[in-house]
Amino acid sequence: MKLWIPVIASAVVSLSVIPVLASAQERMPDTTQRKQPLKVWGAQFEELEYRYSDDDEEAGVWDADFFYGTDNFKARWLTSGEYSFEERAYEKLENQLVGQIPISKFFDAKAGVRFDTPEGPDRTYAVLGVAGLAPQWLEIDANLYVSKDGDTSADLDAEYELLLTNYWILTATFDATVAFSEDREIGVGKGLVSTESGLRLSYDLIDRAFSPYVGVVHERKYGDTADYARAGVGSTEDWFAVIGARLSF
Amino acid sequence: MKRTLVAGTLSLLLPAIGLAGEYNLTVDRVTIDTGEFVKEGVGYNGKSPGPTLRFKEGEEVSINVTNNLDEMTSIHWHGLILPFEQDGVPGISFPGIKPGETFTYKFPITQSGTYWFHSHSGFQEPEGAFGSIIIEPEGREPFRYDREYVVQLTDKHPHASERVMRNLKITPDYYNRKQQTVGEFFSDASENGFLNTVKERLAWGDMRMMQADVEDLQGFTGMINGKGPEQNWTGLFEPGERVRLRFINSSAMTYFDIRIPGLEMTVVQADGNNVQPVNVDEFRIGVAETYDVIVRPKDEQAYTIFAESMGRSGYARATLAPEEGMEAPVPGLREPARLTMADMGGMPGMDHGDMPGMDHGDMGDHGDMVGENEMADMSDMDHSRMEGMDHSSMTMPEGGASDPFYAKGSGLVPTAANGGKFLSYADLKAQKPLYEEREPAREIELRLTGNMERYTWSINGVKYEDAEPIRLKYGERVRFKFVNETMMTHPMHLHGMWSILDVGAGQWNPIKHTVSVQPGTTVYMETEVDAPGQWAFHCHLTYHMAAGMFRKVIVEGGPESTQAASSEQLSEVGGDV
Amino acid sequence: MSLAKFAVAAVAMSISLTALGAGTHGGGHGHSAKSGEPGKASDASRSITVEMYDNYYEPEAIEVKPGETVRFVVQNKGQLVHEFNIGTPEMHEAHQKEMMMMVEHGAIQGGKLNHDMMEMDMGHGKSMKHDDPNSVLLEPGESQEVIWTFSEKGNIEFACNVPGHYQAGMYGEVNFN
Repeated sequence: MKLWIPVIASAVVSLSVIPVLASAQERMPDTTQRKQPLKVWGAQFEELEYRYSDDDEEAGVWDADFFYGTDNFKARWLTSGEYSFEERAYEKLENQLVGQIPISKFFDAKAGVRFDTPEGPDRTYAVLGVAGLAPQWLEIDANLYVSKDGDTSADLDAEYELLLTNYWILTATFDATVAFSEDREIGVGKGLVSTESGLRLSYDLIDRAFSPYVGVVHERKYGDTADYARAGVGSTEDWFAVIGARLSF
Repeated sequence: MKRTLVAGTLSLLLPAIGLAGEYNLTVDRVTIDTGEFVKEGVGYNGKSPGPTLRFKEGEEVSINVTNNLDEMTSIHWHGLILPFEQDGVPGISFPGIKPGETFTYKFPITQSGTYWFHSHSGFQEPEGAFGSIIIEPEGREPFRYDREYVVQLTDKHPHASERVMRNLKITPDYYNRKQQTVGEFFSDASENGFLNTVKERLAWGDMRMMQADVEDLQGFTGMINGKGPEQNWTGLFEPGERVRLRFINSSAMTYFDIRIPGLEMTVVQADGNNVQPVNVDEFRIGVAETYDVIVRPKDEQAYTIFAESMGRSGYARATLAPEEGMEAPVPGLREPARLTMADMGGMPGMDHGDMPGMDHGDMGDHGDMVGENEMADMSDMDHSRMEGMDHSSMTMPEGGASDPFYAKGSGLVPTAANGGKFLSYADLKAQKPLYEEREPAREIELRLTGNMERYTWSINGVKYEDAEPIRLKYGERVRFKFVNETMMTHPMHLHGMWSILDVGAGQWNPIKHTVSVQPGTTVYMETEVDAPGQWAFHCHLTYHMAAGMFRKVIVEGGPESTQAASSEQLSEVGGDV
Repeated sequence: MSLAKFAVAAVAMSISLTALGAGTHGGGHGHSAKSGEPGKASDASRSITVEMYDNYYEPEAIEVKPGETVRFVVQNKGQLVHEFNIGTPEMHEAHQKEMMMMVEHGAIQGGKLNHDMMEMDMGHGKSMKHDDPNSVLLEPGESQEVIWTFSEKGNIEFACNVPGHYQAGMYGEVNFN
């Protein structure tokens, strides 16, 4: 087998059947896609649901996330809101535009701006956060916010998925918001502001692209924030039955 | 396939070669029907898989490839030894083939055996752009058979490859439906005790690693020669005949465990190179590998060729029968494998059995931006050192199956369904040494690295986009040391030069083109650097390769005749795919 | 190597390493399976040279007359150890188990024979000696003679029972005319 190589090679060179070899130093550079960072986009609705409260209030709620980027940098639009059917108004409407970079094996850092434009006064914040996977499979998202007026607050979201089967998934979520200064105009008191805990049972109907779920959500306001709510028309504690779907495109 | 033998006219022009063949391939949009779903794809001469190209050792081939797609394409001749400009990797060997263009590959055939060809552009290969190559030797084969069949496997997925890649990047376990559930927790708890099971789950949770992380891409239909399990590709035989089956794994991501219940298989070739025959009941074929086996069905009955995926999420099935339409029972899928702590052994700073003291992802950890470099400060944990290992010894390890090419105590060690012989790399011995044995000039360590949660894959912690080429010198022999620091199996494929896999057999070490490296193991291979030019070197799992587990290899220098050659051909290159 | 296989091999060996395959073999394979008997050099009517390559014979078929005694000159021209063994397919199959054990014990190592290992006492007074009159086991370059009388017609092959070699096609047909 090896004997053939020189015979054929010499025949080939003399006949110029094959273009001659270039020297190693001047070979073509790889400019293909393979040599470029992989660009990825994603669109996900972690929550897209209808809520029915123990006070017979109805709301539409979403929590979504759109991104584009590479392993090293992603631009992300995070949007969440709560629309009250009675009030015909957004009780909550938050949009964040952040840039995201990896900072450790399992965690990313985020920085950007957040615009709150619900019914009532608007707010703009600078955002600094971390998101990633903590040990024991806890999805963590923690953010620090500073408003234009210097009010600071923070929130922490944690999520855990329990696989009842490979298709039936029970998802537990816990969100807490803390304010380091009071912003009375939007009803936020200093200290622990609110918590939201949820338990949703989903079924992956189409891959992981469409997973309908049902669940319960508990919302509670604390301290001064609760007092402000009582002074207004709002409630301080709600239980919701929810039905919705997790979407991923 | 059109094959025009133009030896008559060309024999005057090519007296030194004597034999020349011209072949035509078109690259086409095709429809692929798996029997479970129908999908658009890419094929050759209007079909996927494409034709079987039959070459003869010593032949000078020219292959006209016409691109009927609306995007760039290329064909790589997997395992063939040829001039680098003919190797078909866009950006490394040539610019690629533009839409509407016909590119003519010309190279001498200097080897024999079973090989395959596939596109090296984008995701065309997993979309169906592959075919098989059979090269007849100049002399006789060192074995006998009455008839032969190509058995080309693939893992056809209903999703478009671009989407698979995106889903894996966004949700790395997107396709994994063999994960551990609450039910498995309770069954493990009743078997191993509640506390032990809790402890085990906590240990894995602490690492944020999944024991079920064996197969990234599930939900595929296993296919043989373009037929799904229901469509049942059938090869005919006369009882008593010897049948040579040329198995080729053209899957994007799937390793298959292959058996033919009722028949012993004699492995006579691996990756196109003859090996000393080994009788086996079952063997595992890595992505891009080929194995030729000889079977001798003596009875007038059908036999099932059963190819079960390594992660037990799917299978391919075909039949050998004396008559069309006969069928044999199709076995069920076995339980999916679970990784063990041994498979994590390649990870730096990992302590076996004990709870690992890993960095708990604290937020202040400003490691490398890519994150995967946390694996870079590796401690050399070499669990499967091959040297001095007596592979023929009969020592029976406690705790079942063992294979020197898997970590000790690995959950991935395969066993034959009938309790018989399962082929190991350690069984592969070259039938005839291709090279004189000599000491390698140097050792090059390649750590196979990655981060499953980000779906980044790399070599030595660096993805291809950020990597410098590996430089080899023409004429040297190098020893590659693969250290798998990930929890996945990687089939590493070096283009253009043979991979001499170290199984501890010295001059009888087998010659391969694709070498599987199991989790938590170190595998050595040596390469005679006898091919000038630049070559690709990568993990052949499509989505690992696309995510960065890829290198360019530059062979510096060359034989006298080529060093003097001009660089006129450079003006043509530099294109994009 | 599974324990089961080891047991099979061990049993096969303890039955008899020398009796199996010999012409007068009367074991479990039935009396009909006869391959002939050792011949005397003086009775040999002719001589056939059989060359052994990796992994095939030249020639791959021979013609004999019932009752004929043939002197085989067996030459190993390959790079691996090969056997020349005259027997029925059933005898070969049984003998392959013994050969398997010789490989597993290191008595056959690719291109070499480990004679010390072959002499080793395996218990019950048996060894892995390969000294049956119907066969020779040769290292590369070696040459040896087998003198055999094909006493009656039968389904007889000459074969190499080094593991895998027979299955790969290293056998030749003995045709009676």
